[in-house]
Amino acid sequence: MSQDLVYLDYAATTPIDLRVVEAMQQCLTGVGAFANPASIHIAGRRAAAMVDSAREQLADLLGAQPARLIWTSGATESDNLAIRGAATARAHRGKHLITMPTEHKAVADTFRALAREGFEVTWLNPDDNGLLSTELLADAIRDETQLVSVMHVNNETGVIQDICAIGELCRSRGVLFHTDAAQSVGKLEVDLRNMPVDLLSLTAHKFYGPQGIGALYIADRPQCSVFPIMFGGGQEQRLRPGTLPVHLVVGAGVAASLAGEEREVDLAHVVALRDRLWAGIAAIPGLTRNGLEADCYPGILNVSVAGVEGESLMLGMEPVCVASGSACNSTSGEPSYVLRSLGRSDVDAQSAVRFSFGKLTTEDDIELAVERYRRSVEHCRSMSPVT
Amino acid sequence: MAASEPYNEQVRALFENPFHAGDLQGVYPETLTADVSESEHGARLVLYAGIDGGKIAEIRFRAFACPHLVAAAEVVCREAEGGKLSDLPTVKANELMERLSVPVGKTGRMLLIEDAVEKLHAQSGCAG
Repeated sequence: MSQDLVYLDYAATTPIDLRVVEAMQQCLTGVGAFANPASIHIAGRRAAAMVDSAREQLADLLGAQPARLIWTSGATESDNLAIRGAATARAHRGKHLITMPTEHKAVADTFRALAREGFEVTWLNPDDNGLLSTELLADAIRDETQLVSVMHVNNETGVIQDICAIGELCRSRGVLFHTDAAQSVGKLEVDLRNMPVDLLSLTAHKFYGPQGIGALYIADRPQCSVFPIMFGGGQEQRLRPGTLPVHLVVGAGVAASLAGEEREVDLAHVVALRDRLWAGIAAIPGLTRNGLEADCYPGILNVSVAGVEGESLMLGMEPVCVASGSACNSTSGEPSYVLRSLGRSDVDAQSAVRFSFGKLTTEDDIELAVERYRRSVEHCRSMSPVT
Repeated sequence: MAASEPYNEQVRALFENPFHAGDLQGVYPETLTADVSESEHGARLVLYAGIDGGKIAEIRFRAFACPHLVAAAEVVCREAEGGKLSDLPTVKANELMERLSVPVGKTGRMLLIEDAVEKLHAQSGCAG
């Protein structure tokens, strides 16, 4: 990590593991690795073997069959393919879909697009802690409901949904269940042998892999048919056309393998960091923790503080890199829609800071973050007319 | 300034050293106050002008605002302090935005500084 900054924005993207970089470099320079894996000549077959090996590594991490994984450009594309692909494949049965307003925009905006095209979407609000009530979901499912999408770990708050309970409910009612697991795969245990999930989106750059590569898991069930959303080739079981970027695929495979080996150690590390960070800032007057400790991924800590403007707060924290709400949404300047869905006021949501950290974060990084956050809050409050 | 760098050096320096942040409650027998806000981003700016002998003896601000608006408020305070109330500069948001390289998307918030100075102007007739 660069010496001139402290990077605490792992939920946006993680730094790439140097062992992943090494594997990708070998792939880029190795004989045959540059070839198109769809080509049938020897160079193409070598590249295809590397793609298959990476698919097996990712499948091992998830407890899935390799053939059930479709490579994509990342979680956004996986979400689009899963939701639009499943909704259109099942449209002849019904056009009712269910999701939550706290989903990532890649999910929420796909549902909005489908709503404009004639689908009916029910948006289920979370409780004050960000959790979905299975009773609420059960009441919302109708005979014509075809798909439910609920993310595993929220990208802003770290709140963990009870995916197993939601998936079991969906299966019992004959409804497909999709989860955006971009924030959980590689960090928490995701074993699809024990989870009733039909469609799962992931991306490698959230678990120390490269940006630009992800996957969609499609369960091996007759009901799980997905229509393609792009056309132009027969790659990836005719669901995702285009020449695969072999070096990215290889990087994702190595990252998945490392995540499987090191996840428990990494998890214990971020728990310790999260506790240290919270201990350092919890006493600040007017501080609110967005998301409860018990149901949150420990690598994310989201806090709001009264009387402080968010953009000024972040500038005062430099060189500590944190997010104000979702990084994907930070250019809008609008208060976080996720936090507003949890009942936070616009002012509280606008002051929210998301700290997210991982295996390369040190205790010294956290100490500097605590010091800068406290100092910035004090600086902003010294100027603020809000009491 | 590169597009990826949202704050120029002047904004950073003014934000880090807002010498005029604060208020003047109880300091001067006569203190003008202009309190303005906008709803979209929740920004709020309050200017306090302490009047002595028809002059702005001291001027302070409080802001719940982005760094650009904080910097703009500090600029206005530095330039107005010590001057005659009747000479209180007519602040134009677009001029300040150009001086401080403020993104166009922040025009709504930057208009607060113009509104606040106009409010002080409006009160100055009965203060001199």
